[in-house]
Amino acid sequence: MRIAAGVDVGSTQTKAVILSDTGGMKILARALVDTGANVQKAAERAFDKCCAEAGVQAQEVGYVVGTGYGRYKISFGNAQMTEISCHAKGAHFLCPGTRTVIDMGGQDSKAISVGLNGEVLDFVMNDKCAAGTGRFLANAAEVMGIGLDEIGPLSLKATRPVKIATVCTVFVESDILSYLAQGKKGEDILGGVHLAIAKRTVSLARRLNIEPEVTMTGGVARNIGMVRALEEVLGLRMEISTDAHFMGALGAALFAIEKLDQSFEFGVWKGDHANRSGH
Amino acid sequence: MDKILEKCGELLEDINFKAIREWKESHPGAKAVAYFPVYAPVELIHAAGMLPVGLSGAGDRLDIQHADARFGSFICSIVKTTMEMGMTGHLQPFDALLFSTICDSARNLCFVMKRNFPEIYVDFLHLPQNPSSPASSDFLAEEYRRILHGLEDLCGRKIEDGQIRNSISVYNRDRALIREICELRAREPHTIRAWESYLLIRAGNLLPVEEHIALLEDALTKLRERQNKKRDSIRIVIEGSFCEQPPLALLRLIEEAGCYVVADDFTIGQSWFDSDVPTVGDPVMALANSYNECSVYSSVRHDFRHPRWFALPEKVKATKADAVLFLIAKFCEPAYFDYVPFKQELERAGIPHLQVEFEEKLFTFDRMRMEVETFVESLVFD
Amino acid sequence: MLAWYEKLDRAANTGDPPTVSMMISGNCVELLEGFGAVPLYPEVNALQLAIRHQSLEPILAAEELGYAADHCADVKADIGCLLTGITPTGGKLPTPTLILCNFVGCNTYLKWFEHTAKLSGAPLYVIDIPFMRTDEPMKADVEYVVKQLKETVEKLEKLIGRKFDYDRFRQAVACSSRTENLWSQIKHLAKNRPSPFDAYFDAITLMGPLYVYRAKPEGVAFFEAALAEMQAKCDAGLGVYEKEHFRLVMEGPPPYPYFRTFRDMFAKWQACAVASTYSTVGGLWEFGFRHDPDKPFESVALHMIQQNVTNRNYLQRYEQIKRYVEEWNADGIIIHFVKSCRLFSAGQGDMRDYFTKQLGIPTLYIESDLEDPRYFSEAQTRTRIDAFFESLEHSKAAAAVQHWT
Repeated sequence: MRIAAGVDVGSTQTKAVILSDTGGMKILARALVDTGANVQKAAERAFDKCCAEAGVQAQEVGYVVGTGYGRYKISFGNAQMTEISCHAKGAHFLCPGTRTVIDMGGQDSKAISVGLNGEVLDFVMNDKCAAGTGRFLANAAEVMGIGLDEIGPLSLKATRPVKIATVCTVFVESDILSYLAQGKKGEDILGGVHLAIAKRTVSLARRLNIEPEVTMTGGVARNIGMVRALEEVLGLRMEISTDAHFMGALGAALFAIEKLDQSFEFGVWKGDHANRSGH
Repeated sequence: MDKILEKCGELLEDINFKAIREWKESHPGAKAVAYFPVYAPVELIHAAGMLPVGLSGAGDRLDIQHADARFGSFICSIVKTTMEMGMTGHLQPFDALLFSTICDSARNLCFVMKRNFPEIYVDFLHLPQNPSSPASSDFLAEEYRRILHGLEDLCGRKIEDGQIRNSISVYNRDRALIREICELRAREPHTIRAWESYLLIRAGNLLPVEEHIALLEDALTKLRERQNKKRDSIRIVIEGSFCEQPPLALLRLIEEAGCYVVADDFTIGQSWFDSDVPTVGDPVMALANSYNECSVYSSVRHDFRHPRWFALPEKVKATKADAVLFLIAKFCEPAYFDYVPFKQELERAGIPHLQVEFEEKLFTFDRMRMEVETFVESLVFD
Repeated sequence: MLAWYEKLDRAANTGDPPTVSMMISGNCVELLEGFGAVPLYPEVNALQLAIRHQSLEPILAAEELGYAADHCADVKADIGCLLTGITPTGGKLPTPTLILCNFVGCNTYLKWFEHTAKLSGAPLYVIDIPFMRTDEPMKADVEYVVKQLKETVEKLEKLIGRKFDYDRFRQAVACSSRTENLWSQIKHLAKNRPSPFDAYFDAITLMGPLYVYRAKPEGVAFFEAALAEMQAKCDAGLGVYEKEHFRLVMEGPPPYPYFRTFRDMFAKWQACAVASTYSTVGGLWEFGFRHDPDKPFESVALHMIQQNVTNRNYLQRYEQIKRYVEEWNADGIIIHFVKSCRLFSAGQGDMRDYFTKQLGIPTLYIESDLEDPRYFSEAQTRTRIDAFFESLEHSKAAAAVQHWT
């Protein structure tokens, strides 16, 4: 059995995916742990947990690719790839028609133009500011005293979404409080917040050529309110996978599988790459 | 009076430029030339039989959805909303777009728009920054003639000096009326509110000048008859809002917080000259000379013969103001720069001041209200 | 460069030689030679401070005075120097005999020098250089600048109390022409595969003598030596790295406080810059323009109008980059947005749009600042750079495979 793994070390959570491609590509297991203070240990915990889930021994894993902001700290990793490359790869594997990825994570958001083989053609990132990231939504939820899981569904009930002027998370908090004081309904406020973020994110994505299929990845993909708001602003339906949260680790694992049987000389793929049925 | 103000308000709010479209329909073949702040030689555009229209961004009336892909962070909003208007077809009524020397961001905007909207005639006017040189007026006259050639190509006919002299005369009258309104406000600020004078003057950016003159004459007659009660307010000069404009609601808020705005630089492009431009001799040279010799001070024009940080305290004295409010658009580099020496000189002269940052697209002002009210209180309860 | 700082220190202590403050872009250092005056470049001070990690204190001092957080940090650093007396080398910097603002497009330059004049009390003269708003400079533009250059000469004669030495000026212009020729040849060596030097990081380091010593024999000697060194490397087939894997065109200033770190991020991928726009701040010499000693005032004027990156319009910068990509054979473009400098950065999104969507050239957009050490995120910048090269690597591999099949 050819088995490989990907480990995605994020600032709050670390994810791992184990793949095998014997008799077709199969996800054997996924695992998720809190990153905590020690990145190195978080990577190990995620990997071990994933091995246990998959019922494989660590030694059986032929190649490990690390990704995420902590990718250089994975001592047992064989290589690193950025989460941009991994999200593109993973999204393309799960939805082969993917040509654009919109990734909204806890700390940043990005849009990726994806090629026919899941390769990155172009990308744009917002990593400077909380607007368009999970942090923004988390702040909004906190200010309103509503659970993070509830804000999405609640936002869908908006009948008159409020206008949010700025997407600076600091100022939006006071805007939300102001609206609450004015007696605006929670769902309308949340509807406005989700719409504002969606507009901001799509605006970022427009720096690329947005081509369907558009696949959404990252933790915020679990927020149905955000998904609908994005679809509304984009004017098209998006693909969402239940594995959206694991996209980075999945992509890393896919790269790991590729590197397993290729000898890769810098800049040139040798071996039977040209003959592989592409994904 | 209310009707006049309402009409002005509608003109300013309309980013579809309905009034301009209607003007073009009733003047078949005539062109509209838009210009980005602060100053433009509108007399030349008028002499060409075209309608000069002063743009001032789109405030909060347009969501920036496309322009921020081209102009990112740390750039003022007016650059982005102007680009957004272009990208969403709002600038369709305009046949030409004029930019001039004001700042680095606006200058880059000119050329970005040139690339993106090849169907519009886009040009950049280099306004001189060395007025102490005798060569300066000659250069500007040449530069004006270059723009004139561009306008001639656009309208398909030659523009005669006589026509330019006539246009200068008309705009002199418009400026004289604007000066009158400003003087009235400085003398009797209870008679006319700052937001009212703003609307009346700014409407001149969107109306044929002849109509604007009529409007101002009408308004002045009515204003002279007003019997408003005096308010208990401090007299302030507003400085720093010469390009991106604050929302009108912010202006009202400032007055409600207890201020008479006795002078400001909101519409500085429209009162650019402190005296009439001569209507004899070479009119293009007259305009160039007036630019170098008779311009009011501004953050977008270098003139060290009398540095503007001395001119500000003089303005405060001349209008008997109590304080200065620096109302600066976020990321406005010229305003940020000038704030430092302005502040130094005000402190030297013992004139109180407050700095407040705004963005044209704001529509909630709680924080600002508090800042201004606190400032007023600190002056009143000395 | 240290010798230059020593001269400045001497000028500060003794008042001799006379000094003239100028901006780097579109500077007329040849004119100074007619008086034996030494140039003072506030920008260089700011950058030296940043590189030596000394810029934060002066920036903070300037902010206390009221300079905004979003102000050009170069200005804050330099003004901060004036306020605190901090200098890059610890030696003294003189109050210049004349503050000569060569206004070449950059409005910040103008304000910067107004403030310096106010703070230091030194006289200020602004040479108003008409912006490149048409494809070629107009006759009226050149005439205007020449007249102002002559006014500058008159002013300096009064201030220094010495007559302008026209012959020395002409010789200086001739010297510049030779220095420029050498610099241009060096720039063209980067067309080689591999390039013998990095046309961004190394070029920036080489730039200093270009504006301090351009019009002096020391400048000629320096660049003769540099050219010889580069040529030798070319002949030996030596590049910057063991194997040059990627060739880039760089747009925008570097993050000076993190110069080394930033360089390493590209070194990791063995990516070499073969051209850059920032290195043409001190003059655009690679496309053939040279100062002409037979028309000294006119050619100085032409350089100030047309042959520097700041006075050229944004679309002309696009063309400059496009030419670099094509003629220097680059694989991609790196656009470095710096929050301080709107001249470079306002509209870089549109630049990116032009190169990626219209021309299909791989382009990476990264953000930080050129001077302010607080505005750089190593992790984020590294991620973007890595992702870009991962993608580029893949397309090179795919192209290679296609080539074989």
